[in-house]
Amino acid sequence: MEHKLANSLIMTVNEKKFIESALLSDIRVDGRRPFDYRNLTIRFGSEDGSAEVQLGQTQVLGFVTGQLSQPYRDRPNEGSFAIYTEFSPMADPSFEPGRPGETAIELGRIVDRGLRESRAVDTESLCVIAGKLVWSIRIDLHIIDNGGNLVDAANIAALAALSTFRRPECTLGGEDGQELIVHPPDEREPLSLILHHFPVAVTFGFIGKENTVVIDPTHYEEAVMGGSMTATLNINGDVCAIQKAGGDAVSQTVIMQCLRIASVKAGDITSKIKDAVESYNTQRSLRKIKRHNPDQQGSSSDVAKRHMERLTVGSDQSGIASQFNEHDKTNKRNSTLKGFSGGPASWDPYSKGVDGDALRISLASRVAPVDKQKEESSQVNPETKSNPKSSETNSIALTREVGLEKKQSKTLKDAVKPKHKRRNKSNAS
Amino acid sequence: MQPTIMEAKPSNLVDQLVVPGDVILDLSNMANQTLKLGGGLRQDGDSICVMKAGKLRFMKPNKYWVESSQKRYVPSAGDNVLGVVVDTKPENFLVDIKGPALAFLPVLSFEGGTRRNIPKFEVGTLLYVRVVSANTGMNPELSCMDANGKAAEYGILKEGYMFESSTGLARALLSSPPHPVLEGLGKKLSFEIAVGINGRFWVNASQSSTVILVGNAIQKSESLSLVQQKIYLEKLLKSIQ
Repeated sequence: MEHKLANSLIMTVNEKKFIESALLSDIRVDGRRPFDYRNLTIRFGSEDGSAEVQLGQTQVLGFVTGQLSQPYRDRPNEGSFAIYTEFSPMADPSFEPGRPGETAIELGRIVDRGLRESRAVDTESLCVIAGKLVWSIRIDLHIIDNGGNLVDAANIAALAALSTFRRPECTLGGEDGQELIVHPPDEREPLSLILHHFPVAVTFGFIGKENTVVIDPTHYEEAVMGGSMTATLNINGDVCAIQKAGGDAVSQTVIMQCLRIASVKAGDITSKIKDAVESYNTQRSLRKIKRHNPDQQGSSSDVAKRHMERLTVGSDQSGIASQFNEHDKTNKRNSTLKGFSGGPASWDPYSKGVDGDALRISLASRVAPVDKQKEESSQVNPETKSNPKSSETNSIALTREVGLEKKQSKTLKDAVKPKHKRRNKSNAS
Repeated sequence: MQPTIMEAKPSNLVDQLVVPGDVILDLSNMANQTLKLGGGLRQDGDSICVMKAGKLRFMKPNKYWVESSQKRYVPSAGDNVLGVVVDTKPENFLVDIKGPALAFLPVLSFEGGTRRNIPKFEVGTLLYVRVVSANTGMNPELSCMDANGKAAEYGILKEGYMFESSTGLARALLSSPPHPVLEGLGKKLSFEIAVGINGRFWVNASQSSTVILVGNAIQKSESLSLVQQKIYLEKLLKSIQ
């Protein structure tokens, strides 16, 4: 029993009284006004589909993974997603290891309902073969530090992680056209999920005898409050879900007022998530651009485009580094090539010029359906254009060199050739 | 005790960062001297070893301890702490002092405490208490009297708000000369403060906005350098006028 006493949050009488009395003069213990949200920061991990959200003291890690599986029988052409929560005792001593507690289940269900009922995730686009194979998305939410209002933080973490998650592209091919090909990320740019809108959860706490409303309660306020309500809204003000489990009774006018405030906050948070995701995507494509040979930059942006498509980010930095070394080597060997300026650190002369293309590609890959024919027709043309160009500008030595070092497959030429060949093959067949 | 050459010379690691395993003193070449060891130190045969990372401190004539800043408090005798009553038993109050185990506050350890007049503390009462004994494997014992049996400043704290801090910040607040933020705030505002070395401080003032301002300013100052603290304080004091 003593153990349990030591683990739960111990609030003094002074604190309880003070929180209530300070609220009467419209001020909260951390210096906020009743309708101020805490500072929100979103960070992304090195891998796609991971996001770390910090809301004041609260810290939540979201991680999204995908897996091919059989669809549910009643929905043969829809993918699925599921939410798993992990409440570590490190976050708060009151979280016990082992099976998930009441709060863990409630949190998972609120986030799940917000996403599912509003159809925010386009599950039909996750179908690979109707009735046989679909993508099932798994969202893991890890609570790293509990500073109160875990629901909102976890919901934002889930949204941010979902919007950066990318699944490998799948096509049917092979001899009989029935074989499933999962294209590795270095072969084809992985596709991001289609999110129609962001359902943002906003939590309100009702404190004291007067049921004073506070937004985004801290864990001290959570210990004092008589009840809470979580409203999930999107930027358009559509209510996707409401959670009000027990607690103090609240009048209808208060709820309507809460919803109005929530819709404003939802707009703010949505734009914050979008900004963070956008800057992540820009960085992601910038990382890719660094990969290719500076000498080819001038030739044509189409070359750059295709090159980028072929080479992935490579989540590990070592991979990038080693490839840089290879670049270096080939450059040194090709004495005819000129103008290679410096090592990886100082090198990024044209980033702005190609940045737009990179963005366009990432956008295109998000929107465009998996249509092989279309892709071919749109890309064969620039290739024929750019190939002679590049061979003019660069020495023949390069092509010869590339032929010799086929296994390296890191230079531009190498990246282009096999695809070109395959395309011809598929055209012939 | 015979004064020796070694006696006059304290460990050369004093005021330096030490890590577990460091040997600060070799007893084999020290003749006949008494040492007092505080937290984070241990006698291992003929040497004094460090048990936790932090700064080694020395106080004349013979006190040694290791200082560090952490969230959890390790009780040691003589500390003044802020405790929260968790449970009431016939013989003791169970008090949380942020330590690994709950502390016992005997119901008789109040000034003039007898069986007749046992104070009534409800669960959640905030107390300013003194740690009397702290041994491993035992619950620490508290007292609401000073060594002379007087109440001194110990006892219940009413109103106000208790803020959490690290043990390092609490020690900085208690240091002399006074903490610059505390001093600066005290010049402009009037408030009461009680600091427990266990990483808690209680602030009270006539207005709740003052309490919040002081509490947050102190909490924030921990991550700031001396110059930054000065700038922050000036800004803060300007904003309230």
